Amino acid sequence: MAEQTKPWVEKRLPVSAALQTHVAGLLKPRDLPYSATLGVLITGAVAFLVASGLVLSVYYDPAHAFDSVQFITREVNYGWLIKGFHATGTTMLFATVYLVFFRALLSREYKAPGEIVWFLKILMLLTLLLVGWLGYTLADGADSYWSLNDAALTASRLDGLPGAVGIWFFGGPETAGTLARMAVLHAALAFAVFLVLAIHYAAKRAIALAPARPVALHPYYTSQYFVSFCVFALIFAILVFFAPHLGQNPLNLAAPSGLVVPDAVSPPWYLLPEAGLANAGGGPLAHIIAFIAAFAVLAALPWLDRSAPGTPPSGRARFLTYLLALDLIGLCLTQTAIPSALSSILAAIFIAWYFLHFLVLTPLVTASEPK
Amino acid sequence: MAELAKVEQELEIAVDVVKRDFLKILTIAGGAVAAGAIAWPFIDALNPSAESLALARPIVEVGGIAPNTALRFVWLGLPIYIRKLTDKQIADNQFIVPASLPDPADYTSRVRPGYETFVVVVGLNTGVPCELLGNDPSDARGPYDGWSCPCDGSVSDPLGRVRLGPAARTLAIPKFTFLNDSQIQFG
Repeated sequence: MAEQTKPWVEKRLPVSAALQTHVAGLLKPRDLPYSATLGVLITGAVAFLVASGLVLSVYYDPAHAFDSVQFITREVNYGWLIKGFHATGTTMLFATVYLVFFRALLSREYKAPGEIVWFLKILMLLTLLLVGWLGYTLADGADSYWSLNDAALTASRLDGLPGAVGIWFFGGPETAGTLARMAVLHAALAFAVFLVLAIHYAAKRAIALAPARPVALHPYYTSQYFVSFCVFALIFAILVFFAPHLGQNPLNLAAPSGLVVPDAVSPPWYLLPEAGLANAGGGPLAHIIAFIAAFAVLAALPWLDRSAPGTPPSGRARFLTYLLALDLIGLCLTQTAIPSALSSILAAIFIAWYFLHFLVLTPLVTASEPK
Repeated sequence: MAELAKVEQELEIAVDVVKRDFLKILTIAGGAVAAGAIAWPFIDALNPSAESLALARPIVEVGGIAPNTALRFVWLGLPIYIRKLTDKQIADNQFIVPASLPDPADYTSRVRPGYETFVVVVGLNTGVPCELLGNDPSDARGPYDGWSCPCDGSVSDPLGRVRLGPAARTLAIPKFTFLNDSQIQFG
């Protein structure tokens, strides 16, 4: 039966041939490091988040958002675990994405011909940040409520086109339907992440060089993926069961109230660097411009980096990249601190360093490298 | 000597193959257990919660129902009538020949053994689906002292068997069990 069915299906839908060509038989260089498995982990994490998100969306009710989250946690079978999966899965996803950016900065893969791949990475980060923020508002705790409230109010106060877009996006300064919109956008954009990942993969394949000493992906790299996955799953399991609220403001576990403004509204850890950079501006429009500027300098990196394509970074360039990572961690810490003169001065220094790194230090250091 | 070394080498390869096959089976088995453990909460989360299951299987107190009256309550969107029969009603309906009824049903099929004084039915007429009258002795009960339909005039006896037209089927009996003399659990 099986020996007849397989060719019958294969002739009409060549699944195993396609798997052999595009996955198992894919020729790879022999010496890829473990950090090259991060892309597979990101795809797996997004798929896992979509699966747990679908279960949560069955019980989530935007009209009684906070109560429905409590219902999921307390009444739904394994609801506490699925919710933990979704929250910790997000932490793992963003940790992996930030590591991918760190790897890209260290390996200079953004240099020609990798510019489009680099842009697609930035697009992936932007999409994930938007999905992440939307998911954070859906929790509807005291923190989420004020974050959404601020964003919707600010957007509706802007003049001209930004204001019109803001009102269109949120459906007005505050309406009962805003959370329902956020839920739909959260889910729709989560699926859009797959599209961005697929285009990124295609762009990466297009510029990949034919390896000098090739080896088939299966079983050589599938076993490497397996080891990576096991480490990833182990860290994930430890966080799910021992630190399910890692990186979240504890205030978000309290019910929202329109009459009680929290002392310090801080987003989950994965939104902190961008929130910090956006705080460089004073007014609402300045926040948006600062956010755009922060990503614009990142997108301009292939041209700000004056090194010749294909040269590995010098010791000084690597040192600066590590310093940038520390700078962003410092910026995150200033965002979670209770507002004070010291924390705002430190935040200003860290933000200034970010722009100094990309606009001044990177061109200077890379231009002085031997060509 | 050389041959001995060759045999030893072949033996080592054979042992390696056995080891590799064992590791492969171990990995697949471990992976299957892990995948099952992950899938379990995802699947079970879509099952109804204990709270909603409890709401779907209510327990009703029937000890306080006076003879010749019925308790009405709504379960799964349907009106449920629990009627306590009088001795006369039992005597009148116990020995009716089922074949003489529009929809034959005998006395034992309408009540539960040991709890013969209680009749539990869905209180919707089987002709025009209106809610039946007759739970209170002062209601219009029709000539058989059971229930009557205010919409099409169909009449049932106290056991819920249809007696007079246009309805052609006896009243439905919901799924229930007697927990004891005074409690019924539905579902």
